[in-house]
Formats: sequence, C-alpha cells, structure tokens
Amino acid sequence: MNYDVMVIGGGIAGEEVAINLANLGYKIIMVEKDYSIGGKMIHLSKVFPTLDCAACITTPKVSETARHENITIFTHSEVKNIERISDKEFNAELVQHPRYVTNDCTGCSICEDNCPVVVRDEYQFDMVGRKAVFIPFSIASPRIAAIDIENCILCGLCEKVCPADCIDFTQEEEVSGITVKSVVVATGYNLFDASQIQRFGGGEFKNVVTAMQMERQLVPTRPFNTVLRPKDGKMPDNIAYVLCVGSRDKTVGNPICSQVCCMYSTKQAQLLMGALPMADVTIYYINIRAFGKGFNEFYQQTGDMGVEFIKGKVGRITEKEDGNLIVRYEDIESGKLKEAEHDHVVLSVGILANTDYQSMFNNKAVLESDPFNYVKQTQELCCPPKTSIEGVFVAGTAAGPMDIPDSILSAGAASAETASYLRSVKN
Amino acid sequence: MKNRIGVYICHCGSNISDYVDVEHVRELAEKVEGVILAKTTMFACADSTQKEMIEDIKSEKLDALVVASCSPKLHLETFRNVALRAGLNPFNYIQVNIREQVSWAHSDKPQEATIKALKLVYASIATVKHSKALKPIKIPSVNTVVVVGAGVAGMRAAIDLADMGSYVYIIEKEHFVGGRVSQWDNLFTTGETGREVISNIYNKIMAYENIKLFTGAQIVSKAGSVGDFNIKVEIKPRYFKPGAKVDPDKLEEVIQACPVEVEDDFNFNLTKRKAIYRNYPSEFPEIPAIDADHCTKCGICEEKCNDVDFSMKAETIEINAGAVLVSTGFDPYEPNKGEFGYAENDFVISLQQMKRLIELSPGELVFKDRKIKKIAYIYCVGSRQSEGPNKYCSRYCCTSAIYTALLLKEKYQGIKNIHLNRGIRTYGKQELLYNEASEKGDVFLQFDEGTPPKVSAENGQIKIKAEDILTAGREIEFSVDLVVLVTGMVPRKDNSIANIFKVPIGRDKFFNEIHPKLRPVETVIDGILISGACQGPKNIPESTNSALSAAAKANTLISKGDIEIEPKLAEIDEASCEWCDKCQVVCPYNAILKKDVNGKMVAEVNKANCKGCGMCLPVCESNSIQLIGYTDIEIESFIDTLAMD
Repeated sequence: MNYDVMVIGGGIAGEEVAINLANLGYKIIMVEKDYSIGGKMIHLSKVFPTLDCAACITTPKVSETARHENITIFTHSEVKNIERISDKEFNAELVQHPRYVTNDCTGCSICEDNCPVVVRDEYQFDMVGRKAVFIPFSIASPRIAAIDIENCILCGLCEKVCPADCIDFTQEEEVSGITVKSVVVATGYNLFDASQIQRFGGGEFKNVVTAMQMERQLVPTRPFNTVLRPKDGKMPDNIAYVLCVGSRDKTVGNPICSQVCCMYSTKQAQLLMGALPMADVTIYYINIRAFGKGFNEFYQQTGDMGVEFIKGKVGRITEKEDGNLIVRYEDIESGKLKEAEHDHVVLSVGILANTDYQSMFNNKAVLESDPFNYVKQTQELCCPPKTSIEGVFVAGTAAGPMDIPDSILSAGAASAETASYLRSVKN
Repeated sequence: MKNRIGVYICHCGSNISDYVDVEHVRELAEKVEGVILAKTTMFACADSTQKEMIEDIKSEKLDALVVASCSPKLHLETFRNVALRAGLNPFNYIQVNIREQVSWAHSDKPQEATIKALKLVYASIATVKHSKALKPIKIPSVNTVVVVGAGVAGMRAAIDLADMGSYVYIIEKEHFVGGRVSQWDNLFTTGETGREVISNIYNKIMAYENIKLFTGAQIVSKAGSVGDFNIKVEIKPRYFKPGAKVDPDKLEEVIQACPVEVEDDFNFNLTKRKAIYRNYPSEFPEIPAIDADHCTKCGICEEKCNDVDFSMKAETIEINAGAVLVSTGFDPYEPNKGEFGYAENDFVISLQQMKRLIELSPGELVFKDRKIKKIAYIYCVGSRQSEGPNKYCSRYCCTSAIYTALLLKEKYQGIKNIHLNRGIRTYGKQELLYNEASEKGDVFLQFDEGTPPKVSAENGQIKIKAEDILTAGREIEFSVDLVVLVTGMVPRKDNSIANIFKVPIGRDKFFNEIHPKLRPVETVIDGILISGACQGPKNIPESTNSALSAAAKANTLISKGDIEIEPKLAEIDEASCEWCDKCQVVCPYNAILKKDVNGKMVAEVNKANCKGCGMCLPVCESNSIQLIGYTDIEIESFIDTLAMD
C-alpha cells in the first residue's frame, strides 16, 4: 500500500491535517487506534470561548475526513516499525485489530440490545454501562458495532440476531506493509489519572468526579439527561472545582501547566449555571490562565454570572456520611486555612503526553521526546511542526498542551510543512 | 415547482430542542403540500445523519431539501455537499436557522420560539418549491499571493507558499525586514536572538526565485476579488542605489556626519538616530536607508558616499494576485502619561524598552547615569482592563517579562527582580520559567485590579506601595531603581491595511477571523487571510503556526487554476433593460458594465466582481434585474408565507 502521507491519530488535529492535504490532492492514510475517529473533542459538550457545541464543530470534520476520496481511514488499528528507507520514503507496518463486526454493519444496534454482558462504558467515562458488543457512541464514525472480546462471553447471541450477518468471530489481527512519503504524528494527549492523588479522594469518594465525567453530564448525549451526583443520584446544588490536579505539580512528575483546565472548568461552570440555575459553583484556583483570544472576557463573564473564584490551593478532601465533601484549602485572600462543604467536587485533571508514538518507530529512526515526553519540536520558533526526523511532522497536543484553536492552527502549520516537504521530495 | 421535498429538523443535541418543540414542527411540516418526508434528528451534521439523508433523497426521489438547524454560516456547505452526493442540485437546498435566530434568541419563550421556528420552516418550504438548479461559476485565479508585512509571520508564510508552488510578493512598509522579532535579543524558548531568526529566514527568502520582497513599500489600493486582485503598491525611495555595497567603516562615518537627529523608534525612543540609518549592523536588506520624513537633503551624505542617490523617485507597481495574506503584527501598548509614573518619572519604562536596554547595555546596566540593581515589574499594563477598552489578556507578556528578568540576572551582577502581577499566566511548558525565577530568588507579589500599586518619586528614589494578595492583603512598601511596565499588545495604530482590504475588526480591535476553530485564518472577505499578532496577541511559535496555516489555506484556495464562486449573482434581462446607468452608479463592486446588443445599450454583469449583494435591484425602474437564487418569486413566497396566520 502506497500513500503520500500517513496521519497517525484521528482527533481534531489529525483530521485537519488530513483534510488540508487531501484537498491539495495528496493520498492520505489515517491510522486511529480507537473504534472511531473524532479524538477527545467529539466527546466534549460546548467549547470555550465561543460556546459552540463541540459536536457541531467536529462532526463535519469527521464526516469530511470519512468521505474524502483521498483519505483512507483505518480505525482500531496501530502502526509499528516506522522506518525511513530512503530520502523519499518510509516503510511501516499497519496492524488492524479485529473488530469482529464487518463493515456491512448498519448500526441498527439489535446486537447491543441482545447482548447479555454489561461492562463500564469508557466513552461515558465509566458513569454508565455498555454491552460487550456495542456501538461506541451515537455520533461515532464509522457508526458500526464492535465486540469487546476481553469481556465477550462468546454466547453467540449477537451473531444470531444480526439481520445483516455482520458478526464475524473468525476475524484476526492483520498486519500489512505500507510505504509513505511522510508522516504526521497527531496522537494527542492522555488525561491525568485522578486516583494518583489520594488526598483528593478521586476514585474513592463517589461524589468526587473528574472534569471529563462532568463534561459528559453536560453534553446532549449525556448518560442521565441531567447532572446527578453519582453516590445517590441527587441533583447537586453546591459544586466545587479543584484546579491543577496533576498539573503544575512536581510531586506527580508534571511540573508544567496543562493550558486548558482553567478554561474548561470556567466553561463547565457557565454550563452548570444554565443546567442547574439554583446551584452554587466555586472554583479553587492558583492562577486563572485565561490567555487566548476571548478567554479573559469569558472568565470575567463567568465571575459576573455568579461563579465564585477562590484563590487557594486545596490540600485535602474528606467525605461526610451523607456523601458531601469537606474541602480543606488555603484561602490566600485571608491567609488562613479554611474548610468548606460541597455536595459535589470536580477534579480539573491536567493533560499528559500520550507516549504511544515512542513505540511506533523502530530503533533506526528515533523520534525524540521533550523532557515531558511530548514529541520534541526541533525548531520551535520558526518551524513548530518539525521533529527530529526529516519528513516526520507533529500536529496538535502531541507536541504539548494546547487548546482546540491552537491545535487547529498547529495542524494547519503541519499541513503546510508536509505539503512543502512532499514537493521537495518529488523533485 | 418542486413537489418532492424532504424536511429535517435538528435537535442540535439540546441546543434547539430545549426551547423549540422540534417534534411539533416536524408533524406540521410533514402536512405541507409537496413535503414527502419530515424527520427530526439529534445532530443533522453527524456522519450517520448525512448518510441517512442521502439514502432518503435517493430512495424517495426528493427534488428539494430543507434543513432547519444552525446558522448557514456553519453548515450551508455541509448540507449542500449532502445534496450533491445524493445527486440533487445543491441549490435546491435551503438551510433554516432555528438555533442562533430562534432557540438561542428566545430561550425565555419556548412556545413563541416554536411558532417562529415553524413559520420559518413553512416559509422555507414555500421558497424551496421555486428554487432552481444552479451551477457554481468558475473564475480563473492566479497562483500569486501578496503577503503584507515582513515580520516573522509574513516571511515564514512566504517560504511555505513558495515551497508549495505559489508566487509570493512580500510588501513591507519599513525599509528593513524582521518586524518586532528583529527588535528582541535573546528569545524564549530556544535562546536564539531575534536577529538570528530573521537573518535565517531572510537568507532563505533571497534564495527563492518565486518570492519577491519590497521594503519601504505600501499598499495604496486594491481592486478585483478573490483569484484576481489588482493591488497597487507604492515603493518609497531608499535614496541608496540598489545593490550598493557600502564599506561598514565608511558607512559609520557617513552616518556620523548626518546632522539630523530623530527619536529612534527601533529602540522605542531610548536613543536617537540619524536621518540616514540602519537599525543594527547587518540588518536586512544590507543597505542603509534615508528617512525621507526627516532628511533635510543637506547633501552631506551624498558628498561622502557615491551610493547615496537623491534622484531616486517613488515608484508604483501593480500586482495581480489570487489571495492576500495580512500579517501586519502589533504595537506595544503605550501607557498614558502618569500611568504608574510613565512619562513623568524618568525611571519608569516599558517592557519593550527594557528589552532594548539590555541589548544596548553590554557591560553594566546603567540607565540615565543610574546603576540599576533593583527592578520592579508591574504587569497587565494596558491589558485585562475590566472597565477600560482592552479587556483581553495579552498572552505573551507574563512569560516575556519573567524571561527578561532572568536574562538581566544572568547578564548583570546583583540584579533583584520584584514582579507585581495579577496572577502569572505562564501557560503550558512556559511554567518552568516561572519556577526558575522563583527558585532564583525573584519576588512575586500579586495585586488586584482595584488596588493597583502606587508609584511615586521621593528624593530621586522610586517608591512603590502595593497591597499584596499573597500575604493576605498586607501593605508592602519598597524602593527600586527602575520600574518596568509590562505592557501588552495592541492593534497597529496604522489601520490603512484594514481600510484597503476591508478586514473585519473584532471586539478587541484586532483583525477577526471567520471562526476560531473552523476557519481561524480566513476572513469574511474571500481571498483575504490573516495571521500572526495582527489577529490577537501571540508569541513567536503561535504566530508561526498561524502563518503556516494561512499559507496552506491560501495555496489550497488559488493553486488549482480556478475558484468556484456562488452563482447567486445579478442577472440582466436584456430585452427589458433600457440602459439608464442607475445600477452602475449604486454598485459598490464595479460589477456593472454597459454593452451594445444590436445597437441597443444594456447593462452587463461582470461575474467575477458581482457579489450578489442586490443593491442594483431596487433602483432598476424597468425591473430588469433578478438576483439568481433570490428571485422575486422566491422572496415573495417566503414573505407571503411568513405573513400568513
């Protein structure tokens, strides 16, 4: 298989690169490890600072990527052993994991209805269940079922009920060789695991959730169709946000700022004011980093709407018997240690490098990392997409924490650099 | 008349359905004559819904399509493409905006919102019945881009455009390239100097045959439209012969001999320069220039140097270009007189002046005969003004100020830095710099906007009084040798480019993009793109990213040889037209021409210029002009339906 460009990662940055280059006539292979393209953004509610719904921005890009005649997408697939074989080409191995459902699936979800196995739904960040055979989420692309073979009990019910005969347990992992002229790494980021900081009770106290779990409760396709606290299903009326969880924190190995948490928390606070008009929302922060275009105005507006911003670092969270939480914090304004009771706490978790790219290249071509395990930008000022390997470019949060507008610009830059590179290797 | 119409009503998650009873709208729309099917959908724009629509169009043999969802600004093209892929003409499609114009606007009145949505859907169905299949018009485009501004953004974009095969003209107003970056010495994060960055880029540019750079050049007018702009550029005389190679010692002597002294704006007026000047040795282009605004033409330099040539005249050139990329950069905020003692106290300077001062002070840091050791930095000057005009955060200044403070410590002995800030915003990896400054003993105090620090002069000393949030509002008083006002970015004072290209301006007064996520480097004027800090505060990598993005967009737009434009243009009925010139007079785009048809003079529309604005329609007395896509019958059907009970 020969392509001009391999785009690794089908999130917003990867899609932007793929569409730009495909529109210039280049043949693109997109490799996405998840069951669907769309990355993290497709799961978000509304996005700051314009409050557009994330789906309205991202689904058209997903759809354009999916149907573009110059883009071939492999979902639930990985790439290995990328190696520069000449001045003009890279070889790589494409590993397609079995989905156990053929592409003829119509997404009717009859299999899902009949499957007897229920496990936690990772696309709803474990707040509700899903089946072992499942359509990943309602706006997935491709919107076809997949079988989670780890949890499947091989009862064969899905195979029996599928009206289109799409269930195929004989599928196996397929490895194929591909040759490309250039590579764009758009592998995105990982979220910090809140349970690593025990004193906040993430993963232990039920009413302490992560910002992604709150985000899911604010989207139209939300699990409970309203905002509920997990322990007793009560509608919360006094919600606290704890910022810099897993960011700006040497003790967890991540001293840098995640760049998005201040703003996503501020945004969620605004959305909560709409969803639960009677609720109080408090944000505990160190510094509010509202730096981008329109961000500071958005932050100002959030304060004007009645969200309380308290400057102070939270030291510990304890749980009361009724599930309410005591937040112990240093109140900078008064210089005192204080405690406050909230009935729901959201941990604004930071973002970490997704290090998957490190194992994609074989030892002959090392893609260098920066000290925080993001892809190293070798000419950060004048050519941000450039990496340590000629012909390999980086786009979006694979290079460091970034918000959506910056990711899209970074992807635009990677498109220009890749297109320039492709013209130079042609000659 | 179309009579097999499909109608889709979008929930938009809950954006619409929270306020509009979409099911009710669907039920009633389904009953309208000519409507074959009406459906509601969670996200009309989702891939699965698009597929469903295509199947419906094919299987039900639909001949027209109405989608009631968000603003057509967002998804007109999305659903036109749906129609196209299903074999339906995209112009037999109408998008009804029931989100921005209904659910969001009337969230307090859901019942009335539902009625309004319904009426708009009814009216659009009535209109789409009269819709005609249209073909987009293709106009030829030249693969040439005019880049306005030779700062880091403009020059970087030029290189990628040239690499992608476009021909590029860079138009720089100043006599030298490099913009703001050339004014900075040591740069975060790489430690390169601004000059190194600029000379690398400049040398690359000089090697390209398809990049032409004009300095001392200003755009004076623009005509035409996307694909075919005609841009007039005036090039000021440099009064130095092109290609002159002046011996550096000799040049220094000539410069010294010039009797005219003016404020040196390259050094933010910290120093003076002569009327004959270059901002630093080896500045590009490596030929000095004579500042015509201040030169008295005394002739001393001409006597001393053969390369000086006062007979040079201003030249005007015309460029035919397919697209324009505006990268005109920013101005630093200029504090008002008395703002924290600025322009009243000699020892209160701006961050930008401080950055120049470091470079101008090789051995010791001495400013106006005072040895500088203890420096206070006051942040957010001219930014984050909740009551003032600049509500925005200038984004780069926290990092820039801390980096500058650290450079000072590295370069000079015994420097003490005190940062009076409003919450440090060293986002992302820049956070490390904040840590480093704290570890190296810089002091950070924080104030509220309402209680800013007070700067006063006492016996030649500068006293600062501040209420520090970080120590529970304690009043702190101390004296310093120098105060640096951390001034942010403001739009360029010179707004001639905005006027010539009609670039839209945002609430923050910077140039505005169509949408920060969907189309972040394009403006509503087709073919006019923006990048770098003219769009809003950015640091260097962020400017470069936006510049390269814009290069990719511009190249995609114009490199195919032709551009598709909307066929919704004015159309003349030659039989009834009695040339009267009224349409020509009102047309803002010079799109109406006069032509002879068998001896009869009639109006003709220049399709490349016409924007379909409709200005010519109401002035036509013989009613000989129709706007394709907005014909009288379509508009009247819409209004009649809206007016019905």
